[in-house]
Amino acid sequence: MLTFIGLGLYDERSITVEGRDALRDADRAFAEFYTSKLIGTTVEDLSAHHGLDIEVRDRAGTEQDPTPILDAAEEEDVVFLTAGDTMISTTHVDLRLRAVERDIETRVIHGVTAQSAASGLTGLQNYRFGKAVTLPFPYAHGGDDVPKSVVDSIEANLERGLHTLVYLDIKAHRDEYMTASTAAEMFADGWEDRLAVVVARAGSPEPLVAADRFSALAEREFGDPLHMLVIPGDLHHVEAEALETLGGCPSELLDPL
Amino acid sequence: MGRRKKIVQECEKLMDNPEHIRNIAIAAHVDHGKTTLSDNLLAGAGMISDETAGQQLAMDTKEDEQERGITIDAANVSMTHEWEDQNHLINLIDTPGHVDFGGDVTRAMRAVDGALVVVDAVEGAMPQTETVLRQALREGVKPALFINKVDRLINELQEGPQEMQERLFEVISDVNELIRGMTEEKDYDWTVSVEDGTVAFGSALYKWGVSMPSMQETGISFGDIIDMEQNDERQELHERTPLSDVVLDMVAEHFPNPLDAQPRRIPAVWRGDSESEIAKQMREVDDDGDVVFMVTDISMDPHAGEIATGRLFSGTIKKGQELYVSGTAKKNRVQSVGIFMGGEREDLDRGVPAGNIAAVTGLRDAIAGSTVSSVEMTPFESIEHISEPVITKSVEATNMDDLPKLIQTLQQVAKEDPTIRIEINEDTGEHLISGQGELHLEVITQRIQKNQGIPVHTGEPIVVYREAPTQASREVEGVSPNRHNKFYISVEPLSEEIVEEIRLGNIANDMPELERREALQEAGMDKDASQNFEHIFGSNILLDNTKGIQHLNETMELVIEGMEEALNDGPLAAEPVQGALLRLHDAKLHEDTIHRGPAQVIPAAREAVHRALIDSKVKLLEPIQNVRIDVPSDYMGSASGEIQGRRGRVDDMYQEGDLMVIEGIAPVEEMIGFSSDVRSATEGRASWNTENAGFRVMSDSLQTDKIMEIRERKGMKLELSPAIDYI
Ligand SMILES: Nc1nc2c(ncn2[C@@H]2O[C@H](COP(=O)(O)OP(=O)(O)O)[C@@H](O)[C@H]2O)c(=O)[nH]1
Ligand SMILES: [Mg+2]
Repeated sequence: MLTFIGLGLYDERSITVEGRDALRDADRAFAEFYTSKLIGTTVEDLSAHHGLDIEVRDRAGTEQDPTPILDAAEEEDVVFLTAGDTMISTTHVDLRLRAVERDIETRVIHGVTAQSAASGLTGLQNYRFGKAVTLPFPYAHGGDDVPKSVVDSIEANLERGLHTLVYLDIKAHRDEYMTASTAAEMFADGWEDRLAVVVARAGSPEPLVAADRFSALAEREFGDPLHMLVIPGDLHHVEAEALETLGGCPSELLDPL
Repeated sequence: MGRRKKIVQECEKLMDNPEHIRNIAIAAHVDHGKTTLSDNLLAGAGMISDETAGQQLAMDTKEDEQERGITIDAANVSMTHEWEDQNHLINLIDTPGHVDFGGDVTRAMRAVDGALVVVDAVEGAMPQTETVLRQALREGVKPALFINKVDRLINELQEGPQEMQERLFEVISDVNELIRGMTEEKDYDWTVSVEDGTVAFGSALYKWGVSMPSMQETGISFGDIIDMEQNDERQELHERTPLSDVVLDMVAEHFPNPLDAQPRRIPAVWRGDSESEIAKQMREVDDDGDVVFMVTDISMDPHAGEIATGRLFSGTIKKGQELYVSGTAKKNRVQSVGIFMGGEREDLDRGVPAGNIAAVTGLRDAIAGSTVSSVEMTPFESIEHISEPVITKSVEATNMDDLPKLIQTLQQVAKEDPTIRIEINEDTGEHLISGQGELHLEVITQRIQKNQGIPVHTGEPIVVYREAPTQASREVEGVSPNRHNKFYISVEPLSEEIVEEIRLGNIANDMPELERREALQEAGMDKDASQNFEHIFGSNILLDNTKGIQHLNETMELVIEGMEEALNDGPLAAEPVQGALLRLHDAKLHEDTIHRGPAQVIPAAREAVHRALIDSKVKLLEPIQNVRIDVPSDYMGSASGEIQGRRGRVDDMYQEGDLMVIEGIAPVEEMIGFSSDVRSATEGRASWNTENAGFRVMSDSLQTDKIMEIRERKGMKLELSPAIDYI
């Protein structure tokens, strides 16, 4: 049996009760933190908290050589953990398919994902989001700016009046997290007056939401990671009010005139 | 005022007048007398004393050159010469003759407009005569001929006037045949002739020379020369018809000045927009224009640091200028500008104007071959397309403390000589240095030891191999680690015509798309394929046959990176792949950039390329050399045995004068140690010449052993992928 468990957004307590129970009952637990990471805890604390040794797999050990995970799942109850939800921005559907191919029973226990937090904290409606994008570190894609495909996707959303959730690149193994200021600075080159919303530390006791022009956001600091950005499309009047009240948005940016 | 100072002032005066400038190189087969001739010219210009000319070898400035008696680096010097009552500024570059240093010759040719080709009257045109002529003509550099060592015809071979003239005409017609063959498509006739005055004869050792114009002027005939040589009146002969005057007159009269040369040469060596302002400035040698400086050589000066020498095609280069260096994002600040006077630099605060050869310090990011300019521009075509390294040696510092200094020195070496490749391995401390031949590497390592004072261990020389497809593969899939991205690639052998054009630099990444398409079609690629051109790496081409795949544009760079990794380390023995035509047929990509980043795409592309190569029955190639041995007939058997015993093949044997000439080919690997073997086999009576002649597929019976030997040396697994079942 292979159970995929999302650990949620922040620390060892962000997991669902169902997830926690499954984790505690498991014979073995694997995890990957190369795509994202729980900022509020460590693997040791997580292991101690749940009373189970968690074996962390790197990218190669998950994608290229998943055999040990699958072998174990054939014999006993194995859980596979990631931050957020295992099947959303970090897609582990491939691992699930490989398990099914080997006739291993699988199930998914959802975790809270950044996507729902972005909508929840900003007050921007879930129904009105378009395609999400990830903004990579410039060195990771070889350019020195926002990749064209990212701009294209955002523009396509805007054309249809939809919001865009922008994940910011993470190099977890190096403890490198793109900040919202850096991202805003990259976007400000060309879009300085466009409205954007920063969501920092979603899921933590002290999340932060800030709505302003890219040029203004680029000048500010938003504290500890993780950060993400939302680029709003057309605003419903309740959404506008939420940005002003919850995100301190300057009212001239919301004025329909 | 010292004599030297006077010459500098004279040079300065002439620099501003392109009509009176001649930029020339002396090029020849090894030992035919370039250096001795250069000394004559310097002495003629008063730069070294007359007595020492012929012995001083002023242009062999590095200790190891004087010891070996061969010229290794192209050295530079400026001098003045009066012709028809007008003083001329002659900027001279001496080029190496040994095949191991081919890269230097090509670079030197970029800087000059005329090439004085020196041929030994006794030996006649030799293989490297052909090589240097080809390099000159390809760069649009005009040749003239000096036939040297005529004294030997008189004294050693005891030839009379009739025999002598016949022999000289034979040399001339051989050289002309080469020139004709290389300029077939050109609309000018650059063959040389005695009547035109583009041929001179003489003795660099005894410092006399004649040409048709000089004979008319001095009234000295061949008969007089023979008499005077035989009666030991060489000094008088030198005084009455000095070699330097005869040759420099020929240079001033027949070599083009920059105004004449640049309009012809710019299109041959630069692919930028010919309508642009900068193209016009270069054609017109405009000293008020933008600075365009082509670096042909980097050398180290203990005081001034790195000196970049090169040709200034436009503008005036001055201290304090901030200039772009091609291939880097940064600008460099010029610290000093000067000219060379026999190995020494003379700084000129006024700067150096267009049409001259300048020595510049402060260009920290420049390497030999860089284009340096005051505005951003299309760089000059790269000039390193002739010589690929064929031999590698490991270099290790004897003392751990020297490690950082050794790395720095190796990087410096690679900067000075782009035909050298360096691989730094900080983990093992065992660095690899690759070059053109055994001698090339030996000289470089000696320099590290002597000039830098770093004691080093070097490993045995190792030959560089290649891998190449032998047939067309099927379409093969490569999957990314997360399995969300797939690439479909096929490989087939690239035609030899196309490979040759790439090698010559006629098909390159940095040329206008339409021009490249035409060049590909001309070399035999069909029209559709040429339109799908994506990238060249080494002598391999990638075509993009896909249509309208979303996000592929952005991913292509990573595909190329993966392909380059795969081609750098081929699937058989991690040796470079050559002559492969790759086609990308299809790609499946993940929606989000993060899931199609470098960690996913590079391995997928690499896997696809390797699998396709295996499906194309990739095989191991080894470098081979043309070998020519000149030997008295008594030793013919032992000499040809030296070729045959080395897995070589003798192609031709014929009589030339009193010697037998043996021509053939042999693998570079087997040629290691050839020098001493052939010397002892012929009791020192043979002279020989080798020339790199590309790569050849190794015979099937040797493939597996060689592949395993290389893998073992590299610490790779000693078993091949099961798909490699055809070897
Ligand atoms: N007899 C004779 N020997 C010459 C003459 N010119 C050069 N040599 C000798 O040929 C050898 C090679 O000359 P060098 O100038 O170093 O040739 P390079 O390799 O072309 O630079 C030296 O031993 C010279 O002394 C010449 O005109 N006559
Ligand atoms: Mg020499």
